[in-house]
Amino acid sequence: MDETQRRVDELRRRSSEVENHLIDELRAGKIGRREFIRRGAIAGTSIPLLGLVASACGVSREELERVDPPQTGAPQPGGTIRAGVLAPSGALDPLTVTDQGGLAVLGQSGEYLVWSDKELKPVPRLAESWESTEAGQVWRFKIRQGVSFHDGAPLTPEDVAATFNRLADPDAGSNALSVFGGVLSKGNAKAVDDTTVEFQLDAPNGNFPYLVSSDNYNAIVLPASYDGDWEKTFIGTGPWRLEQFRPGSGVSYVRNEDYWDPDRRTVADRNDFRFYSNEQAQVFGLQGNEVDVLLQFSVSGGKALLTDPDIRTIELQASAHRQIHLRNDVEPFKDKRVRQAMALLVNRRALVDGLLDTKSDFGNDSPFAPVFQSTADIAQREQDVRTAKELLAAAGKEDGFRVQLNTWNGFEMPDLAQLLQQDVRQAGITLDLTITDAGTYYGEATFGESPWLDSTMGITEYGHRGVPNVLLGAPLLSKGTWNGAHFKNERYDSLVADYVAAVDLDVQRARARQIQELLLDESPILFTYFYYYLTGTKNDVADVDVTAMGHIDLARTGRVA
Amino acid sequence: MAGFIGKRLVLSLITLLLLSIIVFVGSQVLPGDVGRNILGPFADQQAVDALNEQLGANESLISQYLDWIGGVLTLDMGDSLAFRRPVQEVLGDALVNSAKLALLAFIIVVPLSIAGGVYAALREGSTRDRLISLGGLSATAVPDFVWAVLLILVFSLVLGILPATATAPPESGFFTQVEYLILPAFCLVFVLFGYIARMARAGTIEALDADYTRTAVIKGLPQRTVVRRHVLRNSLLPTIAVIATQCGYLIGGLLVIETIFNYQGIGQSLFRAAQEKDFPLLQSGVMIVGIVYLVATLLADIAYSVLNPRVRLAQES
Amino acid sequence: MSTASVDTGLPAPAAPAGDAERAAQRERFALLRSSKTFLVGAGILGIFVICAIFGEALAPDDPYATNPLNDLAAPSSDHWFGTDRVGRDVFSRVIVGARDILVVAPAATLLGTVIGTALGLITGYYRGAVDDVVSRVIDAFLAIPVVILGILAITALGPSNLTVIIVIGVVFAPVIARTVRAAVLQEREMEYVAAAQLRNEKAPYVMFAEILPNVMGPVMVEFTVRLGYAVFTVATLSFLGFGIQPPAPDWGVQVYEHYGLISGGYWWPVLFPALAIGILVIAVNMIADGIAKAFER
Repeated sequence: MDETQRRVDELRRRSSEVENHLIDELRAGKIGRREFIRRGAIAGTSIPLLGLVASACGVSREELERVDPPQTGAPQPGGTIRAGVLAPSGALDPLTVTDQGGLAVLGQSGEYLVWSDKELKPVPRLAESWESTEAGQVWRFKIRQGVSFHDGAPLTPEDVAATFNRLADPDAGSNALSVFGGVLSKGNAKAVDDTTVEFQLDAPNGNFPYLVSSDNYNAIVLPASYDGDWEKTFIGTGPWRLEQFRPGSGVSYVRNEDYWDPDRRTVADRNDFRFYSNEQAQVFGLQGNEVDVLLQFSVSGGKALLTDPDIRTIELQASAHRQIHLRNDVEPFKDKRVRQAMALLVNRRALVDGLLDTKSDFGNDSPFAPVFQSTADIAQREQDVRTAKELLAAAGKEDGFRVQLNTWNGFEMPDLAQLLQQDVRQAGITLDLTITDAGTYYGEATFGESPWLDSTMGITEYGHRGVPNVLLGAPLLSKGTWNGAHFKNERYDSLVADYVAAVDLDVQRARARQIQELLLDESPILFTYFYYYLTGTKNDVADVDVTAMGHIDLARTGRVA
Repeated sequence: MAGFIGKRLVLSLITLLLLSIIVFVGSQVLPGDVGRNILGPFADQQAVDALNEQLGANESLISQYLDWIGGVLTLDMGDSLAFRRPVQEVLGDALVNSAKLALLAFIIVVPLSIAGGVYAALREGSTRDRLISLGGLSATAVPDFVWAVLLILVFSLVLGILPATATAPPESGFFTQVEYLILPAFCLVFVLFGYIARMARAGTIEALDADYTRTAVIKGLPQRTVVRRHVLRNSLLPTIAVIATQCGYLIGGLLVIETIFNYQGIGQSLFRAAQEKDFPLLQSGVMIVGIVYLVATLLADIAYSVLNPRVRLAQES
Repeated sequence: MSTASVDTGLPAPAAPAGDAERAAQRERFALLRSSKTFLVGAGILGIFVICAIFGEALAPDDPYATNPLNDLAAPSSDHWFGTDRVGRDVFSRVIVGARDILVVAPAATLLGTVIGTALGLITGYYRGAVDDVVSRVIDAFLAIPVVILGILAITALGPSNLTVIIVIGVVFAPVIARTVRAAVLQEREMEYVAAAQLRNEKAPYVMFAEILPNVMGPVMVEFTVRLGYAVFTVATLSFLGFGIQPPAPDWGVQVYEHYGLISGGYWWPVLFPALAIGILVIAVNMIADGIAKAFER
């Protein structure tokens, strides 16, 4: 026991704050063994090591093993896989899709140059390889040969160039403009020979391969001759081809027998997508055996699935989060000490362990989620009511104050708002909640006409991204269009420019560290957690490949006998 | 009679026109524009502007309204702004779905509640009467979403004999479709039973009290014949009126049921259209519900006057 | 005024109208008091009213106090109805939740009754062109599904109790107007109306001072019937996310927030608020029934 204890202590010294928290919580009985294993594994600690720690804390081996193990049986070829997604809210047009269901549909029959996998590593797909010159301002992608679209036409670099010029065209009104704005302009994607496409960027960008990957979900490669009306053909190069589209109800796909990658020719014969109008119906659908896979569910809505023995949950670390902005240019948050106090009053552990049932990472008040490769390792901020009160007193607010908090009634945000309300009461601060529907909260989405951008304090949902570029930009840059915090800091702007331009990972990390420390000090926005991406599957389904972006790859999926 | 129908038709058209104006004015108070609603708050303003231009959402309100009215008169309701498909298609599917559910609920609830009401009336004051009356009353009092949740819990999740959603897989046969619609239909049955049964009961009691019934009984006719020939017709009168007024609810008001059971009916379509400021879809949808309601009440009034000569004569004078 | 003591040999004059009316009222109250349904309904409603008024004093816990580490705990001696999604005590929330619905539903019904009665009086009295036009507008409103009206109103006015009151009031007015109109059409033919008109009384006076008191019976019945529907509708609007907002412990919102969880076995956050809604509506309907019977005579 002593030896084990010594090794545990040794481990503690080498472990991060988060890992030490896990050990604390296990010992205090605040989390169970299952959660300990799960979160430890995601934090990167190996299972045997976790076992060691757990046994030192008095937990048996068998209890440790009882986590949701993945289905490792061999999938049988043939049959139909049924997947449930939230119904796309508009037309299925690759340029304008913005929601979960829509992007999952795009990824079935469509394909990307690069695939951003579940660990956020870029995997070659339609692009075989890539390289940059001019310090990251020019990128060349070698396009794979022998690929054809579902109508038989071969894939050429012209098709790729046309796709990206279309996405970058301001007149085409594509959602991808939010990714390419300031990065790629229309006409700067060119086919330079039979196998290569060259991108001339507006400014050096170290993460460009991610910007043409599945993370930029509108960027499925389409024929140069594409002219609209994607719903008629669902044209693409992917392993599934369209069989029937039933607007509002779902899509059925069949195997693409001519798919270019023999390893990813589909295991199942057919793939049926069912559309659900809300999460509760989805949950009932999976439990009622109407579908085999549920693309994504939230902790608050899907608690029933987490405890259902017939359902396995796949958890992916992700960067999806909620931003709680505090307007820097008006009272009471003008003084950064008040903002820091707010940050210190939040009980993050209750949020992570209670609200999100441990299915989340801690947020450290910057967009750098633990899942990003370039995130630097700095101390995690924790609840500290005493220091918070001292800061408030120093800023002249020892009697507290009253402030309005705006948000909309989606996901767990109303719950988050109510929990914050309770947390800040300890310092005499009163939050008046205004919870509306999404349309009202976002308004016209421009300054002066949107509670999102005008409110003193607000909660906004942000979905997952593979790299933090977008999150560092629009919500926090002085000229950012999503900057509800009205944060204007020159040093921050230049640090971000440096980060974006950096191509080398170590350089990125160094820049990230500076940004993280600045944001921890200024605290314009509270990032309290980064929640995991949860997918539900029936026990007999194997090899479902999901990414935190919301893509679901069913090519290898099949039923186990 | 023809004059009566004619007059009602004209009045109905005027109502429809007023309805369209009310919805038009109402929908203008919704914030946000179509492009923004489709692309979401995080999209580039440029993209939003381009999309709005494409969709013709920048025309003046009056011209948008006139365009639409003109289209309706030529039976072209335009394209849904969010789905980029003709409104007829989107609404057509939804209408068929709503009709199926309404029909199934109807077929179950009408005979059941009339039978229940008449039965209760024939045993007026007895325990069975009170059970039916109070039972019906209680069932109606429970909101439809509560019934939905309870039925799903019992029949779908615990017993596992019925599906938890109402949308059958594509290409399903008639019986499969009915299987999927049973639970939502029964929610509606519970909600409507009490009201219709109460009307039927009241009508039957009144008819039983009437002179012609007493005459028939004195003449020695068996009770069943009395009921069938004289009483039923009169107890049906108020029932028809009630059923007609529920038509609007059954077609357009089932948003809650449709949401819980994941069913693409008119209720859901209207709700989404209002949320996304999909003007053509919203207008046409409300009009269709309005038409169904007005046609139903017109048919009910006609049936009423056919069945009750006194009313017909009074209306024609 | 007593007529018994003096015998003038003439037949006794008829009792003044006031006496007959008062007698009828006394009879009605007697009927109500003896009606079991009415009493039970009133009793139940009374309990809810007490909850509404004294809510926080009766609740064992703070209905707003969250405790996410103890969420969805099953009913126990600590929490009789268990805890909800963020760890709040369901029992306390059900008790305090009575207040919002008992304020909003009657207020909405009152608004609808006032507007509806006014409209009914106007269309019934004037008939002719006025009746036709106003009735068409009323019909148009009747044809709009409640939820659409709800969405438009909420987005225009912002989600709040006031918005719900207005929406429901507007939705109920046409139905009440219809009933009142029918009653007014009958009363219109009575002599006292003709008498008032001969006296050159202004139309508003005739409508509100002469006719209105005589249609109060149907109006009262309508009010109580609609009240049941109002409770139902308030709950439904909350369930859809319009109207009473979190963290208010509204029953409809509680059902909405938790119904997806029943398949995981978490029945208590749904069942208790749902029962509360159902029982309240039944109670109000029982009262309405009793009143309707009393006024029928």
